[in-house]
Amino acid sequence: MSEYDRQESRNEDHGIEDSHSGLPAMPPMTDAESHIHDDQESRTLWGDAWRRLRKNRLSIIALVWLTIVVVSAISADLWVPKTLGDPRAIDSSTVMANQLKDSSFSHPLGTDDLGRDILGRLIYGARASLTVGIAAVAISVIIGLLLGALSGFYGGAVDSLIMRITDVFLAFPYILFCVLILAMLPSSARGIGPVIVSIGLLGWPSFARLFRSSVLSVKQNDYVDAGRAVGASDSRLMFRHIMPNAIAPIIVYATMSIGGTILTEAALSFLGLGVQPPEISWGRMINDGRNYLIGNHPGLVFWPGLAIILTVLAFTLLGDGLRDALDVKMKD
Amino acid sequence: MFQYIVRRVIQFIPVFLGVTLILFLIATYLPGADAVQLRMGEKTMSPTLKATIRHQLGLDRPWYIQYGDYLSSLSPVHATYYDGSTAASKTSDPSVRVLDGSVALIIPRISGSVPATGPVSYEVRSGVPIERGQSGRIAIGSLAFEFDPPDLGVSLYNGRPVLTILGEAYPFTMRLAFAAIFLEIIIGIGAGIVSAVKRYSIWDILVTLGTSVLVSIPVFWLGLMLQYVFGIWLQNLTNGAFYLPVLFEGGSTAPFPAYAYYILPAITLASVSTAYAARIMRSQLLEVNNQDYIRTAHAKGLSDSQVLWKHAIKNAMIPVVTYIGLDLGAMLAGAILTETVFNLPGVGYAIFKAIVGRDFSIVFGGVTLILLVVMIVNLLVDVSYAFLDPRIRYGGLEE
Amino acid sequence: MGDHLLEVTGLKMYFYTRDGVVKAVDGVSFVLDKGETLGVVGESGSGKSVTALTMMRLTPMPPGKVEAGDAKFKGRSLITMKEDEIRKIRGNEIAMIFQDPMTSLNPVYRIGRQIAEPLVIHKGMSKKDALLRAVELLRLVGIPNPEQRVKDYPHQFSGGMRQRAMIAMALACDPDVLIADEPTTALDVTIQAQIIELMQELQKRTGSAIIMITHDLGVVADMADRILVMYAGRPVEYGTTDEIFYKPMHPYTWGLMDSIPTHSLVEKSALNPIKGQPPSLIDVPSGCAFHPRCPYAQQRCTDEIPEYRIVEGTHGTACHFAGDPGFVRRLVENAGVKA
Repeated sequence: MSEYDRQESRNEDHGIEDSHSGLPAMPPMTDAESHIHDDQESRTLWGDAWRRLRKNRLSIIALVWLTIVVVSAISADLWVPKTLGDPRAIDSSTVMANQLKDSSFSHPLGTDDLGRDILGRLIYGARASLTVGIAAVAISVIIGLLLGALSGFYGGAVDSLIMRITDVFLAFPYILFCVLILAMLPSSARGIGPVIVSIGLLGWPSFARLFRSSVLSVKQNDYVDAGRAVGASDSRLMFRHIMPNAIAPIIVYATMSIGGTILTEAALSFLGLGVQPPEISWGRMINDGRNYLIGNHPGLVFWPGLAIILTVLAFTLLGDGLRDALDVKMKD
Repeated sequence: MFQYIVRRVIQFIPVFLGVTLILFLIATYLPGADAVQLRMGEKTMSPTLKATIRHQLGLDRPWYIQYGDYLSSLSPVHATYYDGSTAASKTSDPSVRVLDGSVALIIPRISGSVPATGPVSYEVRSGVPIERGQSGRIAIGSLAFEFDPPDLGVSLYNGRPVLTILGEAYPFTMRLAFAAIFLEIIIGIGAGIVSAVKRYSIWDILVTLGTSVLVSIPVFWLGLMLQYVFGIWLQNLTNGAFYLPVLFEGGSTAPFPAYAYYILPAITLASVSTAYAARIMRSQLLEVNNQDYIRTAHAKGLSDSQVLWKHAIKNAMIPVVTYIGLDLGAMLAGAILTETVFNLPGVGYAIFKAIVGRDFSIVFGGVTLILLVVMIVNLLVDVSYAFLDPRIRYGGLEE
Repeated sequence: MGDHLLEVTGLKMYFYTRDGVVKAVDGVSFVLDKGETLGVVGESGSGKSVTALTMMRLTPMPPGKVEAGDAKFKGRSLITMKEDEIRKIRGNEIAMIFQDPMTSLNPVYRIGRQIAEPLVIHKGMSKKDALLRAVELLRLVGIPNPEQRVKDYPHQFSGGMRQRAMIAMALACDPDVLIADEPTTALDVTIQAQIIELMQELQKRTGSAIIMITHDLGVVADMADRILVMYAGRPVEYGTTDEIFYKPMHPYTWGLMDSIPTHSLVEKSALNPIKGQPPSLIDVPSGCAFHPRCPYAQQRCTDEIPEYRIVEGTHGTACHFAGDPGFVRRLVENAGVKA
């Protein structure tokens, strides 16, 4: 067992995989086989994957929830201010009258300490969470792909240097580095941008490792050698042969990472290091609301937390579903 | 086994250098952050004054010299070299040179020739390095080794040494971490075993679903909701004792013994780790149960529970123990979020207060200290792995 | 017929999986007497290992289920007896040796302790006495310097030594039956011969009966008194070793014999492995399971499952054409053509 394997197994998400119980002397029966007899409409990997994903009830629920969140966050400007009031504006004349209301028809989840509608704030808060989640993971994926490809393709000194660097990063919860970076910025410079950049710059090592091992395993296949033999260039090999095969684990892991990133963003915003008012973030809402727990107004904390949980869970379940659908083994 | 340990220690060196280098680069060259202002607090300064201070702080020196200074400030050992010409005196030109080196680096770095700035060099200039740490000095020939605690600077707010501030906070963090680890071991491992043994049962489903939900819960939210439930909802039942922001440890009128105030923070801190521990335990046990030697044990006539406790658990535990060991490092490192939510005056809370109060030295010193602790615990866990697994203890791993 | 040591009749073990019913063992019968050796031969997936595991009740149930049949040991049914009763038999009266000695020993316990374990649980020995006995057992199976090696961990043993340790463990309680499941497959050829020799020698000394499970007829040629040939979970031929080797009746047995290297039964130089792959147990071919690979298959073989029947004495087979002189002639001619 090499040290990398050990690191890998230490860091991987120990997902609940359904390993077949090892029956002795039985022919292997994979999921893939049992689906061969399915309808023949599209024989592509993605078509198969989608068909399998559709059968996974939890993944579909997750997908529905994420669609609701994304659509309402994108369309928020069109309808939220009209129906629920502008969740970012403070109307000083009505603060006293509107603040800390329980749920009602006009405010389904009640109002916060400044009289703003909590549901409206949640919908706007989704923008920060999703933006950070997707953008930071995108940065990590791009850096991870580049370094992982360099590492796996060229090997040798390049490989050991890059793997050493990933060791350094993976040895710690990267949230500490984010805290340090964001704490050093002047208050005026804090906001969603630095959060994305700091998480993105620190989250790449797992992607680099993942992609490296994909490259290594694909590289051993005959058709890559064949490509070499007929004189295909390195970049052509990379994009024509390795990428399409290595992309599935990246997609699965990226989906799962978005959930983790949303949690990190919420934590940073909770500490006051993330999204700054008047912009809204779920983590920040929890921090703002904590002082009203003692006055028996738990909704200010409860609802944003629930939004985080459901969204993070949805990304995790979707990732699980994709893993099964794309037949990705996260263990190797 | 000796080889294995030596290899682990050698592998530790680049990780240590890498982590400290990243920390140093962030603290000195982060775009958008003003290194001088950060070190002097947020007062207005003219550009000339700023430049002067920058020079005085040594921030204009090459990065590698600054980095070396940072490393030597973390080192608990400093070496002083007497060139033997004249006796050292407080007033004369320096006849002693300080060889600042990091023990972790093994190779000491000669810093006597570097432009003299910063707290360490200040003592060189006045020629009294001997007086710096009066206790724990060892002289070997013309080299004197002094043991000094790492120097993490002083608080910008009240001038107290950062190490002292964090040292005061550490006992709280330790107690919290050990309480959380205790929960993690009992509940995490227990749930993992139950769920693997009763596979596909209602318990297994509960554990697998529960862990998925648990790792999706923001810890700070969980802490606040626990406070709300036990402190406000069940106020009459608990006498409000669990609502910690009001008074930690309850003060002299506390209705409960001191440990009671660690229960909710420990649950909060342990939540995510417990879920992971349960998952790892479960998947390890399921994997081990498919191994041939388990079949052998059954074939010998052992009962199911004998096979489980004597043969399966011991093998499955090795990775779990490793995970929990690593986790202990992370927890000792100070759970910023948990301590903040419960106003528990540990290292994490000190860092949170410093973020709010913009006390850069505490934030930087705190993060440095946390990472040092994590690194050292990780190393210890790696080394202890050798004792857990006979395959490492006696001869190298095969294949 | 109740006086056999072990008597298996019509045993059926089915696994109910998501993808369908796997008929891993489908109607196996044989008998084993004291001190006798039975060879069970077949390709991987033929159900020979599962047969042994089913008798020992070591198959996971569910998904496995004993559909029919019985296995009687000293007149008591292994299939229906209580769990703690069969536990007293496992490792004590019937012991097993597994295929891969690399993975069959627990890596975190010392060899000695693992050998001593059955003595502690079955014979009520103290740990100390059991360890002393383990040293003797290691010496018996030819491990040099057993006083020292008993303190080793499995990874410090070579493959051949581990298999010897496994044999020592199986013999610890002087079992009446030793089931060896491909004990030599994972070892290299010279070690294979040593292990077989060791087992024969020990059998002479202890008088245990042995069930030797293997895919290689050559392994059991010198050793077995009787041989059971299995294909796709079904018995295809059963008889004494002489009957199987000199009067094989099933084309599959014939094929197996052709694939033994340098066998002198029929003069030939080339190895003739049986063409094709063993069938999936989920989707067993209709009729005779062997018909897609059988060079002599007729329409009848596709349509009709051949009944297992005794042809002469105790020699039986499941082939429609067994005992048909014309068929045998074709077999012989074919072998001649190949040569």
